[in-house]
Amino acid sequence: MDFLITIVEQGLIYGILALGVYITYRILDFPDLTVDGSFPLGAAVTAALITRGVNPYLTLLISFAAGVLAGICTGLIHVKFKVRDLLSGIIMMTALYTVNLVVAGTNNVPLFSQETIFNNSMLTGIFGEEIPGVVTILVILVVALICKLLLDFYMNTKSGYLLRAVGDNENLVTSLAKDKGNVKILGLAISNGLVALGGCVFCQEEKVFDISVGTGSMVIGLASVIIGVSLFRKLTFVKATTAVFVGAIIYKACVAAAIRFFEPQAMKLITAVLFLVILVISMERKQKKKLQLQEAGKGEHHA
Amino acid sequence: MKKKMVSLMITAALLTAAFAGCGAKTSASESENSSGGESYTIGISQFAEHGSLDNCREGFLEGLKEEGLEEGKNLTVKVNNAASDMGTAAQIAQSFVADKVDLICAIATPAAQAAYNAAMDKGIPVVYTAVTNPEEAQLADSDGKPVGAVTGTSDQLPVEAQLKMIRELLPDAKTIGILYTTSEANSVYSISQYEKLAGDYGFTLETAGVTNTSEVSLAAADLLDKVDCLTNLTDNTVVSALPSVLDAANKKNIPVFGSEIEQVKNGCLAAEGLDYVNLGIETGKMAAKILKGEASAEDMNYELLTDSSLYINQAVADELGIAIPDSMTERAVEVFDEIAQ
Amino acid sequence: MLELQHIAKYYNPGTVNEMCLFQDFNLTVKDGQFVSVVGSNGSGKTSLLNLICGSIDLDAGSIVMDGKDITGEKEYRRLRRIGRVYQNPAMGTCPNMTILENMAMADNKGKFFGLGRGTDKSRIDHYREMLRQLNLGLEDKLQVKVGSLSGGQRQAMSLLMSTMTPIDFLILDEHTAALDPKTAERIMELTDEIVREKKLTTIMVTHNLRYAVEYGDRLLMLHQGRAVMDLEGEEKKNLKVEQILDQFNAISIECGN
Repeated sequence: MDFLITIVEQGLIYGILALGVYITYRILDFPDLTVDGSFPLGAAVTAALITRGVNPYLTLLISFAAGVLAGICTGLIHVKFKVRDLLSGIIMMTALYTVNLVVAGTNNVPLFSQETIFNNSMLTGIFGEEIPGVVTILVILVVALICKLLLDFYMNTKSGYLLRAVGDNENLVTSLAKDKGNVKILGLAISNGLVALGGCVFCQEEKVFDISVGTGSMVIGLASVIIGVSLFRKLTFVKATTAVFVGAIIYKACVAAAIRFFEPQAMKLITAVLFLVILVISMERKQKKKLQLQEAGKGEHHA
Repeated sequence: MKKKMVSLMITAALLTAAFAGCGAKTSASESENSSGGESYTIGISQFAEHGSLDNCREGFLEGLKEEGLEEGKNLTVKVNNAASDMGTAAQIAQSFVADKVDLICAIATPAAQAAYNAAMDKGIPVVYTAVTNPEEAQLADSDGKPVGAVTGTSDQLPVEAQLKMIRELLPDAKTIGILYTTSEANSVYSISQYEKLAGDYGFTLETAGVTNTSEVSLAAADLLDKVDCLTNLTDNTVVSALPSVLDAANKKNIPVFGSEIEQVKNGCLAAEGLDYVNLGIETGKMAAKILKGEASAEDMNYELLTDSSLYINQAVADELGIAIPDSMTERAVEVFDEIAQ
Repeated sequence: MLELQHIAKYYNPGTVNEMCLFQDFNLTVKDGQFVSVVGSNGSGKTSLLNLICGSIDLDAGSIVMDGKDITGEKEYRRLRRIGRVYQNPAMGTCPNMTILENMAMADNKGKFFGLGRGTDKSRIDHYREMLRQLNLGLEDKLQVKVGSLSGGQRQAMSLLMSTMTPIDFLILDEHTAALDPKTAERIMELTDEIVREKKLTTIMVTHNLRYAVEYGDRLLMLHQGRAVMDLEGEEKKNLKVEQILDQFNAISIECGN
């Protein structure tokens, strides 16, 4: 049971990151590699603030803001200097490595003795000295849920419509007399804000910032989005944000299964194979549906 | 409905995979436990694939064996490697906790932190090794006392012995160069140790930081213009690019000192280094005491290997034209006559 | 009023492929005028529209809109007062958004896109009424994604969306070319209705000589960056397709098609 809770915890945390990746990859159609730098940025900012005694809940907002700044930089590089999308992300990711080291002060900042969003005087006030383990997952759930609901809300505002339009048909945005460049920057800002927020929660859950925390976060985010979205195809936007979380949990379950039941050397391979199996399953289903539709179509013609 | 179907299918697929592996493992452990007496299950979480860390792991199991806990007899061992990923290290630790192992052995700092974080409220002791600075990693307080049920051994480099050895071999050298990875906590700490002590032996220090293996040769070329010799840390990234460093240094006839036996075997001139197998053995003995209930992790301070061991590569010395004093050859734990390829 | 003064535009300047499209090109379109533009391939029809909208930069000359020089103004700023429909029906709508969302977005053109609700519920009946006038049954498909509509349906929506808010100019870039004849006919009628009703100053590029003759009150035939025919008033009103066909064929043959 504990094992499953752990998977859900990790999945929900990386789901916040995946929400951000969803915005760039699916909505903006922008392969944003900034993620590998903005995830640890959120963690670095959090570590730096918490060791200085800042309220842990406040770090959520500040990390988000830091991520927003990183996203704006990537956007400016892409839009104003006309650097290609992939390259803008790479440039920012590289720059952020140093920024993260400087922000955190060093490459490994433990937070064992600090207050976090999972363990602080407010929570001990409610639950007593021994905070039940279930609080961790509840806190993560609340943060994840808030992110999802806010994003759902945003995507249905006028500004959100414009964001969806710019990835769908940027020409229309120009026709609406709006600068598509600014809309892209806005999208990158929100995306990286969410990614950094994920880093912030992860850092507090693990009680440590380590510079290596960003390695491969883009891949995890992408995998989560693709798993989630291909499993829950044909759904409206509101549900897509949920699908992304499910995708992240499934990805983490793959990793967990690989850790638990196979030789350590095989871990990455097993993760890859499980990932592939899930993709194939979801694609087979799509094809079946297509076949069904075709058959239904034929039937109509005969009638 | 269809959604449910799919999620069911996925769960089924995962579970099948899970049980397939599970079945194999349980049967193995059943036979292991049949030898009778008290038996234990431990989890080893290794942060990365790396020669020294592998030595630690082997030494650890050897140390346990010396204390009568032998894998396959009264000990079940689960080993996992995080492939340098913090998220995976966390999941490994949590999976050990979920399995209710009797003890977690964590190799390298991030693995130790992840293990402690996962195990701290669950009453599972953590024994770490290859953590250079347990205080800075907040695994021990400033007096070296554990912060919880977590203790182990530090692989702090014998910096002073190394500097002394370099001075002995190169009486005229003025500047020592060190390559290190900015993201490796252990390296950053070791650099600070060198900075503190270099002056005492009449050296000035030149350092060059890199972020990945591909940058090492570039940084080495730059550094070699400024120094009389290089000395290595136990920096994973730099060590994995050691051949390119040695190559560049040999062209300029600049000696490179190592920090452990493997590096000397592979072409470093000499090292006052740690024997990671010994470090692992020490750690294993500590773990055995905890498992048997002879001591509790909360009360055990972390340990350092007090003695460094000298390794020399005579072939390299001949190539560089450096005469090694007999006193040193006698003192050396091992003298290599050829460079391993 | 829209004035193009001494326009010059080159493609690939400074290379062996340098091509002069316009040189000292002048055009004045009066308020409320509906200009049909025909011409051979490569005669500069679409480039003319792109220059006006700011999608491409010009090399010399100036563009003046109602007395104000807009030569340096960015495309998206110019489009505040301009509605544009493209040849490709996919260009004017967002395929992954619903009909309702597309309509709501178009309705907000010129206003601030803030954190208010994307779709104003009280406007839905209005959208439905507009869609009903198209006679394409779109009024019952408000929640359908535009991507699943036919080209004709999308183009009708593009036209509706680009003229929904108060604009002064309408730019039509072969907007019936990708449609089947019947739908094209319907879209042209609709265009005419909207232009008359909103009194829009319109420039329509078309390949269809009949449309050029039938609709609008001025006809411009372009060839190699020059207006080889410019008819308006009575002359345009009494024009028959046969009268311009010869000249059109002449310039088309010259171009090899």
